[in-house]
Amino acid sequence: MSKIVILGAGISGHVAAAHLRRKLSKEHEVLVISPNSNYQWIPSNIWVGIGRMKSEQILFPLAPIYRKKNIGYKQAKVTTFHPEGDIEVAKPFVKIEYVNDEKKGQTEKVTYDYLINATGPKLAFDMTEGLNPGTNKAYSVCTYTHAEHAWQALNDLIQEMKQGKKVKILIGTGHAKSTCQGAAFEYILNVEQELRRHNVRDKAEVVWIANEHQLGDFGMDGMLLSYGNNIMKSSEMVEMVFEDRGIKWIIGAGVNKIEDGIAHYETLDGEYHTETYDFAMLIPAFSGHGFKAFDKNNEDITEKLFKGFMLVDADYTPKPYEEWSVQDWPETYQNPSYKNIFAPGIAFAPPHAISKPRVSKNGTTISPAPPRTGMPSGITAKLVADNIIDIINGKKELHHKGSLGNMGAACIASAGYGMTKGSGVSITTYPIVPDYHKYPETQGRQLGKTFGEIGLAGHWLKLALHYAFIYKAKMKPFWWLIPE
Amino acid sequence: MTQRISKSKRFYMMNPIIQFFKFIWLSIKIMLVVAGGHGGTRKANN
Ligand SMILES: Cc1cc2nc3c(=O)[nH]c(=O)nc-3n(C[C@H](O)[C@H](O)[C@H](O)COP(=O)(O)OP(=O)(O)OC[C@H]3O[C@@H](n4cnc5c(N)ncnc54)[C@H](O)[C@@H]3O)c2cc1C
Repeated sequence: MSKIVILGAGISGHVAAAHLRRKLSKEHEVLVISPNSNYQWIPSNIWVGIGRMKSEQILFPLAPIYRKKNIGYKQAKVTTFHPEGDIEVAKPFVKIEYVNDEKKGQTEKVTYDYLINATGPKLAFDMTEGLNPGTNKAYSVCTYTHAEHAWQALNDLIQEMKQGKKVKILIGTGHAKSTCQGAAFEYILNVEQELRRHNVRDKAEVVWIANEHQLGDFGMDGMLLSYGNNIMKSSEMVEMVFEDRGIKWIIGAGVNKIEDGIAHYETLDGEYHTETYDFAMLIPAFSGHGFKAFDKNNEDITEKLFKGFMLVDADYTPKPYEEWSVQDWPETYQNPSYKNIFAPGIAFAPPHAISKPRVSKNGTTISPAPPRTGMPSGITAKLVADNIIDIINGKKELHHKGSLGNMGAACIASAGYGMTKGSGVSITTYPIVPDYHKYPETQGRQLGKTFGEIGLAGHWLKLALHYAFIYKAKMKPFWWLIPE
Repeated sequence: MTQRISKSKRFYMMNPIIQFFKFIWLSIKIMLVVAGGHGGTRKANN
């Protein structure tokens, strides 16, 4: 009998738990530890942030489903890692702290045979002075509660605009090294469309601010893509959309301080500027959670497990951009020091960025961190689950592999909500991490598999994915037929 | 030079009938990219 403990019930933790439970017999224990009592389909937070969906439509409580499916669940957060046990407990364990009402503050040592760290990122608002969702007129859509607040503030502003007030709306990245530009891109297009729906578009200046050196970089070094019969750069595609929607842009900008309605930023040319606004949605930096790890003598061994995020089978040797290769990227998400620990989704430490690093004239790094979107998060979680099942069944080698350098991703960016007026910018990329050796002529990506489409169908697709993935996450009949 | 979206292109992007077929085409194409599989990068035959 084996006990598999999964930390986190986001996309990757939940996918891993579901597959493990489906494929492993009842004698094996699957236990999820996560502080949020709800599962949330994060991509649809964009629609909560424009008031077109309610939080209840994008979340459901985890406990009843886990009970029904015989998956253990503790509403708690992990605090420390003890991969060798300690003087009292011989088995490896994690220390957890309960967060729910009855047991709040209580701690427990939870032992495991296999550990999946799927704790995703810490939303590091504290890395930008004054950036705290709901203060200084700046908001976030990274969680459903943030998105609800954002909509309340935006709605209030729309009412003022209806009374004739002219406003400026600033959307983008709130730190020089933020990632997740895609989410901000979706939000700005959705907000712009909502302003038109409320007949107040002429009252607002809508401005994009991002740490990308070029529009459409998305933390992925941009991409060359097929668009209809043309081949176009992602920068040209995004520029076309922004021009069409009358959205202005500031790029190569590292936001470093937020005051009430004022964003301070530095640009790649070393200049310092400010931008005023009446409503802002700024994606924070994503960081590791700052977990500590200890050996059996209680000596600190954090560096064996973490480098911000969790260390896995990547090549972390520091090297210049010119020497980066797809081979640097992990394939199995297994920790090299403790082979029974894995970290899929956003929880693993990337070997380096994907976009070329850029430093301002003052020496500030202003460059996107590498994104890890929902699809690769799900795929890497499933392959980790499959490898653990193989090990339990006696296999010695890890056969399931999935490097971001040999995996495609589909990003269906919502560009506006509505069954007849909605729109989506659908971009698929293969591979996610460009392979400049394999595809030297096409910026490291395979054309045909890397393509873009804009239109109503994209909105329908995004909506269809919303329902399909919530169906899958609820583990309804034949859920496993829906790919990650 | 920025390419703006022409009237005919916008019609194509927002016409529900054309977009219905686009939806099917997109779903299949995306499925093929996703189902195209994934693997390692460190061995020549991966
Ligand atoms: C607004 C927004 C829109 C997005 N849109 C898209 C999209 O359209 N398409 C797409 O592919 N991707 C999208 N993404 C990215 C996608 O949401 C992420 O790739 C995905 O959520 C990563 O999954 P994860 O499981 O690794 O991390 P998360 O989903 O962040 O899950 C982490 C889990 O760990 C838990 N946790 C945190 N701390 C602890 C702790 N100490 N102990 C135990 N558990 C802990 C959390 O509660 C959570 O359950 C979007 C992201 C955002 C923010």
